[in-house]
Formats: sequence, C-alpha cells, structure tokens
Amino acid sequence: MSTAYFKIAGGTVYDPVHGVDGERRDIWIRDGKIVAAPSDPDVRPDRTLDAAGLVVMPGGIDMHCHIAGPKVNTARKMRPEEKRKADKVVRTSTTRSGTMGSVPSTFATGYKYAGMGYTTAFDAAIPPLAARHVHEEFEDTPCIDKGFFVLMGNNHYVMQSIHRKEPERLRSFIAWLLGAAKGYTPKLVNPGGVEVWKQLQGGNVHGLDENVAHFDVTPRQIIEQVSRAVDQLRLPHSVHIHANNLGMPGNWRTTLETMKALGDSRGHLSHIQFHSYGGGEADENTFNSKVVELAEYVDAHPNITVDVGQVLFGETTTMTADGPLGYYLSNSFGNKWFSSDTEMESGCGITPIEYKNTSLVHSLQWAIGLEWYLLAKDPWRVVMSTDHPNGGSFLAYPEIVQLLMDRTYREETLKHVHPAVLERSTLAGLTREYSLYEICIITRSGPARILGLANKGHLGPGADADITIYTPNDDKKVMFELPRVVIKSGVVIVDQGEVREPVNGKLLYVAPEWDVSIETDLAAWFEKYYSVRFRNYPIPLDYLHEPEEVACR
Amino acid sequence: MSLTLRYKANTSVPVEVEGLTPSAVRGLSVSEIERFEIFNGNRKLPLAEFFDVSGDSADGRIEFLGNLSGVHWIGAKMSEGEIHVRGDVGRHVGSEMTGGTIHVHGNASDWVGGEMHGGLIHVHGNAGHLIGSAYRGSKVGMTAGTILVDGSVGNEVGLTLRRGLVAIGGACGDFVGFNMAAGTVLVFGQCGNRPAAGMRRGTVGLFGGTPPTLLVSFRKSGVFKPLFLQLIFRQLQSLGFAVPSDCWTANYSLYSGDHVALGRGEVLIRETTAS
Repeated sequence: MSTAYFKIAGGTVYDPVHGVDGERRDIWIRDGKIVAAPSDPDVRPDRTLDAAGLVVMPGGIDMHCHIAGPKVNTARKMRPEEKRKADKVVRTSTTRSGTMGSVPSTFATGYKYAGMGYTTAFDAAIPPLAARHVHEEFEDTPCIDKGFFVLMGNNHYVMQSIHRKEPERLRSFIAWLLGAAKGYTPKLVNPGGVEVWKQLQGGNVHGLDENVAHFDVTPRQIIEQVSRAVDQLRLPHSVHIHANNLGMPGNWRTTLETMKALGDSRGHLSHIQFHSYGGGEADENTFNSKVVELAEYVDAHPNITVDVGQVLFGETTTMTADGPLGYYLSNSFGNKWFSSDTEMESGCGITPIEYKNTSLVHSLQWAIGLEWYLLAKDPWRVVMSTDHPNGGSFLAYPEIVQLLMDRTYREETLKHVHPAVLERSTLAGLTREYSLYEICIITRSGPARILGLANKGHLGPGADADITIYTPNDDKKVMFELPRVVIKSGVVIVDQGEVREPVNGKLLYVAPEWDVSIETDLAAWFEKYYSVRFRNYPIPLDYLHEPEEVACR
Repeated sequence: MSLTLRYKANTSVPVEVEGLTPSAVRGLSVSEIERFEIFNGNRKLPLAEFFDVSGDSADGRIEFLGNLSGVHWIGAKMSEGEIHVRGDVGRHVGSEMTGGTIHVHGNASDWVGGEMHGGLIHVHGNAGHLIGSAYRGSKVGMTAGTILVDGSVGNEVGLTLRRGLVAIGGACGDFVGFNMAAGTVLVFGQCGNRPAAGMRRGTVGLFGGTPPTLLVSFRKSGVFKPLFLQLIFRQLQSLGFAVPSDCWTANYSLYSGDHVALGRGEVLIRETTAS
C-alpha cells in the first residue's frame, strides 16, 4: 500500500449519504480510495488541491445509457450524415480522436462523460451473445467505470423455465448467464413482446396477461419470476425493467400493473417518462400526463425505483432491444430503420428521430420527464437520465440540472413548447426547485445506492476516489457543463474541461452462484439451438480489463 | 487582377482546400493567403507549399490553374463570388455551396455539387459519379442551384435530389435520379441502366438517341410537347449550355413512377421521330 496522500482541501462538500450538505471539509485520498484523515497531525499530503470556494461532489453515475455493443455500433454506422456535421474530437498528446453526434465514438464517449464530471456509466441493454463485443468496446471507452445489464425478458431459456414452473432452474440460469456475460443484472425489455414480434409480422403484446405463443407464458409471469429470482440471488441491483407498451397513449395502466406485478420484490423501472402516458389507445389527441398517479404509487412503495429518461428537443438516434418499438418509431418518423433478431435472446430496432418543441407529443414527453423529478417525493429513488441517446444525449444533463434548479428558466422554456402542455400536464403549477444536495442525490448518491455500489456515490472512507469539483455559478448549466477538476480513482483526469490522464476505468460485474447441475441441460440447449458452442459462450475473467466484482447483498 | 492560385505541388496524397472560398480570402493580402492552412492527407500545411499565389482577392474571384485532379473540395460551402478552374479537378467541387458560380474548364471527378444548396456549377468537360447527389446517409441531397456538365458523367447523378436542376450534355451512367424526392435532371446523351429508380417526385428527362428501358414500375401516360421544357432549354442556353436543336421540336413520352416508391415522379423520353 502506498503512503502517498492526496488531499482536497477546504471544498464545499456535498455528500448526501453522510448527510453532508454544503459543508467545508477536507477529503483525503490514498491508493485510489477515500480515507479518513490521518490521526497523526505530522502527516503531510504529497499533493494538495486547494478547493476553497469550489463545490465538491462524488463523481456522477449514469445508471441507464446505451454506449457500447452491436446496437450502438450499428447506430454509429447508420448516421454518417450526422457524424459529418457534428463536432470532432481532435487527437491530443494524451487522447485519441473521435466523432460526436447523438452516438459518439467509444473514446469520445469516455472523454465527454469525464469532461462533464461523470465517472461511472451502465449500458442498459446488452444481449449476452454480444457481451464479448461490449467488453472490447468498454476497453476503448476510457475515464469511466462501466457495467451492463443483460437482456433476459425474451430469452427462450428463461421463458421455457417459467413455463415449466422451474424457479430454481430459472434462478440458476440467470446467475449462470450473468456470470457468462460478466454482466450486472437482468434487463427485461418489453417482456414477451419482442418474442411475439419475432414470431408474427407486426406482432407485440399489449398487456401483462397476453400469452406469448409457443412458450405459453405472459409478461406478468416473466416480471414476477425474474424479479423474484434476482432478489433470491441477492444481486446488488434489482431487475431493470423497460415495461411493455413504451410510448403508447394510455400506457400508464400497463406501467402501474408492472409495478404491482413486482409484489414485494425490488424493481427498477427505466425511462419511466416514456411509460407515463394517459389517453385512449393509440390516440394522440387524448395524450396526457399520468405522472401524478404513478409517482404516488412509487412514493408509497420503497421497493420501486425509477430513472426518468428525459426528452430534450433536437435530433437523436433511438436504439432499443424493443424491436416492435423501433419499427413503430421508424414508421412514425419516416426514417431509415435497422432491425435485428439476436437468436434465442432478443431483438433490436434503431431509427433516427427528432423531438420538436412544436409537437404536442414531444412537448408533453419533455414536460412529463420534468414532472417526474418534481413530483416524486423521494429523490433517492428517482435518477436523472435521458436514456442516452433515446431521449437525448447524456451531454444534456447540465441542461436538466438547470431546468430543475431554476424555476424561472423552466417557466421561460415552457413558453416555447406546445401550449397544450399547460392543460395536459401539471408542470406549469410546479414551483419546486432542486437544491445542490438533491441534484447530488439524483445524479450520484441515489444511483449508487440503487445499483448497490457501496464504494460509489459518497465521499466517506472506503469510497472510490471518484470526485468532481465544480466552480459555483448562478447559471447551473454552465456550472455542471464544465467541472473545474474531475478525479477518477484518485487521479486527476480532467482539469478545466481538458482530459489530462485518461485512465481506463473498471468493469463492474457480479458473480452469483448457480447450481452447476443445470450446465448439462444448458450445453444440450446450446448445441441444439445456438450459433455459438456452449464452451465458447462464457467470457473468461482474464478477457476483461480491470474487472471488479461487486458483491451480492 | 483576380486572385490566382497556380498548383505547383507533386504529391499523390490528397490535397483538400475546404474553406478556401472567395469570401474567406476576400481582403486578405497575398502573404496572408499563402499562410492559409489546407490539408495534405492528415497534415495541415500552408497554402504556399502547394500553390503560387498572386493577384488580388478583392473582386471575389479566384482562378485555379494547373492539373488539380488531386485537389479536392474546391469551392466547397462557398456562398458568393466566382471560381474558375483551368485544368482537371478532383472530388467535391462546390460541395454544399449556397451561392456564387464555379466554372471548371476541364474535367471534374466525383461528387460535383454534393448536397448543393444554391449557385451554379458549370463543368465544361466530363465529370465523375454522384453529380448533385446526397452524401451517404442523408435523407435529402441537393436542395437548390444548377449543375451543368457539357460532357459525360458516371453513375447516380442526382441521388436523392430534393430541388434544383442538373443538366448533362453527354452520356450518363446507371441509376440517374435514383431515389429523387423532387427537382429536375436532364440527360441529353445516352443513359445507363435503371434510370429514376425509386424516384418519388420530380422530373428526369432522357433525351439521348436510343431510349433506355425503364423499370416495370413506370407507367406510360402519353406523348406530348411539354411547354415547360422550352422554358428550361431557354434558361440552359442563357447559361451557355448547348441544347441540341432537335430537342426543341421533339415529342416526349411521359412515364409516371416509380410506383415502388411514392410514384409521383415523371420521366420524359424524347421521341426519336420529330413531329
């Protein structure tokens, strides 16, 4: 162990985990971790960073984004017209070149997250068959710690185990699959619906109790059984759910049913904004917000957490494992479309879209996202996200911070969206303004707690020394766009917006135990149906760069 | 005397002069223009390493001299003024330009007027592929302006054209007017395979001697003498583009299509027997 100390002196510290709300404190770092101040008063730090007058927070955590793997790579290749016109990331003596646009290239993604003060990000939808590719791309995504959620909501073995009423087999398979892919938690995307889409032209499910042919299971069964298995495995994070009927008018009932289907199990509902719509079935004329009803349910059920999936106006590229949704969006916007079928595991749809403030639907989506932040009573269970790049780029987070902290700015922006937003949502009447303490919760401490990352999201001894230091500014967008210093594992990686030392970042994974007796059946299953041999499917630990196992609860 | 740039380099690595427009250099001294940075491959170097610079930039006119077939992006994004190229030139001449005039007194390579938004490009020799076309991935290509090529051209002329006029004096390759959204492409020479495939709206005129075989997704609607063609021919003549005399008096067969797409486009084929 090194004896070299790094001290951040006299900053105004925000550390909600320890109840520290803007207090002047010193932070001591050694070997990439935050440590208690040395008891010996004669110990001097080898390096001191004077943070007097500056705001000190843990590094930001994006718990739901799409930054690696085949869908992201396809989206990059699919948008040359956007890449041509977007900013370029120019090579320096310490950094690689890259491209921007709505789907930045790998190195650029890492640099831009770090430049904004974020030090951890989780890709939310990886088919395990493509996990190897993801790990390779993660190795080229510097500056941030990374992990990913493993798509299981339409996995054939999962559905077969549920149909056969074999919960122990299901639990073992989930554990085996997470271990094989080196993933973090199961992800359910339109559970059952993607399989129906793959079976039938234009197919989908529209409610939790519709049957998925051949497997004879329902979305409700998939949600119940997988969430229960995740809790039994004591995974650090809950099951991560992209509910059925994303984007459809009236889908709030499906969302509420999904929450109820969890029972007492933990569950994280991702990009909840896209699932909070009232109105008649497929009728945009009656489209309205149902955040009040859903937020009330979430407030009353501590087993449920959400991230918002805020929409920002402008062009972006949607990418989803929800194949039928990709097709729907492509038809709605009349744009090019990519669709794929990942064997026994998943689907995928990609299409460019543009959110316009003149559109009633898009304006309401924008407002509904903000309603979630402002109506949910417990900030520890509401996480900032744009579902990058589906609602907008992660680079829009400073804009969201300003919308939440500055009511005047929010009201001014509201004047420039579709006027019907005033009647169809409650946003105009919401006066709440977030404090820096609350912003710290929804961007750092909250997601760390939800993900079960004991070493992140706080500044107490034992935490990873992932720290962002901001220059205070009344314009919160400016403040959060350009941190003064970003520290990753005790190393200053960004200084005044410039990447100084692009460390690689860790790969965060879980390793739950499973009943090895299922491997005989699994091997036969693979040999019969998969394009990959069973023995070649799991990714060995030595294939990963800087892996770090996150312990089960 | 206009600004004159005489090419003197001998490099096989592409030279890219994007940004070197009449408005960018107007008012700059010769020494300042000599320091203007351009790309040679991935290296950024001063213009003087590749060109002898002389004359005055005040009148908004630039003369490029020499064999510029390895020099690309001449006049890209220009908005005003005139560029005259005396010699062959590389790719992307007048790409995304919004105004002004470019004359190429020689042959041009691919992508002449790629995603052009205004102005005039007149190539007095031949040109390559993808004249007046959308770049890869774009939903909309050329949106305004005029491209005239006296000689022959390659494939995919007017790809995803949205508006504007492209006229080709000689022959053209395959897929002319492919995926056109609107606008006009006229070819006065022979035409290659699958003309106007996937066109949604707009006009493709095929006036060469032997009519090409159209795709089965086009339907013949009649034979007539379209008055608007006379107006376009007059405009072309006024711009110095030679319109063959028999085109003025010919009958034209009208085909609608492409019915695998929106089907609101029209293809006009000159009848070989004049009325």
